[in-house]
Amino acid sequence: MTELLQAVILGLLIGGVYALMASGLTLVFGVMNIINVAQGAFLIFVAMVTWWLWKHTGIDPILASVITTPMMFGLGWVLYRTVIVRIRGSSPSMSVLLTFGLALTIEGVLNLTAGNKFKSATPSYFEESFRVGSIALPKAQVYGFVAAILVLGALYVVLTRTWTGRAIRASAQNPSGAALVGVGATSTAALAFALGASTSGVGGSILSVLYPFFPASHYDWISRLLGIIVLGGMGSLPGALVGALVLGLAETLTATYGSLRWATLVFYVVILAVLLFRPQGLFGTRLREDAVA
Amino acid sequence: MSRLRSLPRSHLIAALALLVLALYPLVQPHDTYYQTVLFATFMLGVQAVSWNIISGYAGYVSLGHSAFLGIGSYTVAILALHSGINPLLLAPLGGLVAVVLATLVGLVVLRTRGHAFVIITIALLLSAQIVATNWRSLTKGSDGITLELPPWSRDIQNIPFYLAMLGLLALTVIFSALIRRTKFGTGLIAIREDEGKAAAIGVNTTRYKVTAYAASSFLIGVAGGVYAYFLTFLNPVGSFSILGSVTIVLSAMAGGRGTLYGPVVGAFIVGIGSEAATVYGGSSSRVLIFGLALMIVVLFLPDGLLPTVQEAWRRYRPVDTEYTDQAGALEAGTLQVRDRALASAVVADEVEDGAEKRAGRPLLDVRSAAKAFGGLIAVDGADLVVRQGTITALIGPNGSGKTTLFNLITGAMRADAGEVWLDGTRIDRMKPWARGHLGLARTFQTTRLFRSMTVLENLVAPLPDAKWSSMLKASVAGHEADRARELLAFVGMERFAGQPAGALSYGQQKLVELAQVLMLEPRLVLLDEPAGGVNPSLVGRMVEIVRDLNRQGVTFLVVEHNIPMVLELCDPVVVFSRGKAIAEGPPQTIREDPVVLDAYLGDEWRPPALTGESAQPDRPQEVS
Repeated sequence: MTELLQAVILGLLIGGVYALMASGLTLVFGVMNIINVAQGAFLIFVAMVTWWLWKHTGIDPILASVITTPMMFGLGWVLYRTVIVRIRGSSPSMSVLLTFGLALTIEGVLNLTAGNKFKSATPSYFEESFRVGSIALPKAQVYGFVAAILVLGALYVVLTRTWTGRAIRASAQNPSGAALVGVGATSTAALAFALGASTSGVGGSILSVLYPFFPASHYDWISRLLGIIVLGGMGSLPGALVGALVLGLAETLTATYGSLRWATLVFYVVILAVLLFRPQGLFGTRLREDAVA
Repeated sequence: MSRLRSLPRSHLIAALALLVLALYPLVQPHDTYYQTVLFATFMLGVQAVSWNIISGYAGYVSLGHSAFLGIGSYTVAILALHSGINPLLLAPLGGLVAVVLATLVGLVVLRTRGHAFVIITIALLLSAQIVATNWRSLTKGSDGITLELPPWSRDIQNIPFYLAMLGLLALTVIFSALIRRTKFGTGLIAIREDEGKAAAIGVNTTRYKVTAYAASSFLIGVAGGVYAYFLTFLNPVGSFSILGSVTIVLSAMAGGRGTLYGPVVGAFIVGIGSEAATVYGGSSSRVLIFGLALMIVVLFLPDGLLPTVQEAWRRYRPVDTEYTDQAGALEAGTLQVRDRALASAVVADEVEDGAEKRAGRPLLDVRSAAKAFGGLIAVDGADLVVRQGTITALIGPNGSGKTTLFNLITGAMRADAGEVWLDGTRIDRMKPWARGHLGLARTFQTTRLFRSMTVLENLVAPLPDAKWSSMLKASVAGHEADRARELLAFVGMERFAGQPAGALSYGQQKLVELAQVLMLEPRLVLLDEPAGGVNPSLVGRMVEIVRDLNRQGVTFLVVEHNIPMVLELCDPVVVFSRGKAIAEGPPQTIREDPVVLDAYLGDEWRPPALTGESAQPDRPQEVS
């Protein structure tokens, strides 16, 4: 029983972190219909920067997100303005290929600068746990979860309570309509992309503590994150949260009762099973498509 | 010799290149290094050409296509290990296992449109690696499998592998070319251009896509078997490498996605370039180079090298194009409608006379259909009967739910409630293409031709039945093409057969779209505003065509705002308002019906003499 409870709580903690990482991906897809395959590479890039900062300045890795978040916001904005904007209006498959190229480029740069070795940030609390009764909760996991939920909450507030957020959502639903009321499509898209990238600031910093990583790890991460948003329904923020929690749970439960080696595979099996019965994902909606033609 | 000369020049160049490459190791048998580089390049070519079938023709990008190479390798290696049979003989089984896997995955993710596919392809590659690492009893895990060395003498080195892979590459190109020539191939391009429209003209999009995915995996699986034997050693990381998929995507993109030879050209550039990069730049810089190259191709050479060069060549040596004019479209043509519609014509003859027409049996029967978009009720328990042999009009104010009703009938949308029957068959749960196969066809309010395809290709894309044999018929040559030309002549558009559909004027597109749906041999055609945006002379032609077809037994349901045309052409006329039919009758009656005037013009505009007579006691909820 304790084991089950432990696994469930751990699964939810992991799921919370996954949710944050996937939120940027689903946001960018929802607003501009772009699957940013480079989101995984963003995470690994941030993890690498965090590791470097921690190594050289001793700053707490999770706290380092105060630096990495604005850095990723800026990087996202610049990338959108210089690269992504050029394929606006072409088919979605082009955006997949472009961001895939971007992911490889980031991986290639990290390969050359940081080397092809596993790294992991190990602050003092790295191996400590909180004990609640008979349940042990790794401190890093708890801190990561708290940070993730705080940022997700902030993202939600930005999207629903601020002018910028409303502009982003308006532009997602009807770009030309939004333009008519003074919301410029390009600057809004740049903002959304930057916002999406900035979530990997916190996400990557957390990752550097929780998981060992090396440049090519981004494939694992992007397929995990894409799995989450397919499961939750692409473009849906609540969907990403639920999808992340479900998959976090599935993963920990498999690791606890099955074997750690198969845990990642369970991820994909769950996704296939969901697609079999509900192709649009858990929270996905089908809208009328004919009227646009 | 004259037959040889009639072949396109590209095929001749390809055959010549094949010959030179096949002779090369016989002339220079000891150049092992170059043989190995070329072997890898051929293998990349097999993969890129195969990838092009699903990701180029059908437009569904796969980022994990090298998974099939690994699956082929492992299948063949495991079988060879246990049976002692030469791996080269087992190689086709590698292809077979790849096909089974692709079919299973495809059946799950390709049923719907959209992005799940690309995501699952990455997952497939990573999962395959996990399985190969962890299923130790079968795959020996990360230790890998070692095969016996080939039995032939060391003198001939890798020549058998070199020739086998070159043969596979030639086979793959022929396979891809054959697919492209069938209606299946045309349908894949149609799916890439407009999947919803493809489904509306009888293309079973799920079957097409799954078949394309399976077809794109087969020869890669076979190549995997050959590769395993060439290496004589395989492990999970090497067999399921992401970088392999990257080179596939890059080759096809650089050479020209969606073209026949583009991926081959790309494979030679990427294969040889990647070897040069490893030699001069070291292998650690390869990822960076591939990444940058992919970004550059997508941003600056999105069509790929081959199409770009061809385009430049065409501009350098322009060919006279026949300018389009209206004359062709206004010429009358004749047409014999084929079997399916003729069968119904017999019935139509029995009820020939004007008013008697309405006595025809119901062909289409919509029973209390309903559809809401959130709080907006577009179709509100509508009933509609279209009788055999009629040209029924459906008129009503904008936003009254006419087009949505069309979508419910054709299956572009699923009704929230109600039933749709076509000639005694309940169709409201059927897929759009299945309805097309029963003889239901539609045109769109804004024409939806496949714009980058030629007019002729647009006409051969529709699939009139669910048979596999129809799918595999030749498309732009032979019987189908003859039929298409016949129909184009009928609507007066034969001269434009070779033009891209996107280059036609709007009115011409309307005519072509009508000819296109006639390829389905429909019994009932739904026309969504056939006269909208079309000039008067073409409207006249359209009316003649519809009459002519109707005389031959084709039934029509027409949504139209051009009231004079409706009154001239149609009988009966059904009036739609606020999501349901409010009146039905012959045109003369409808034009004086107060209920209709009320629906169109509103209370204030009602002629004074009629006030009071038409008041509707319980007005439905406002819908638009």
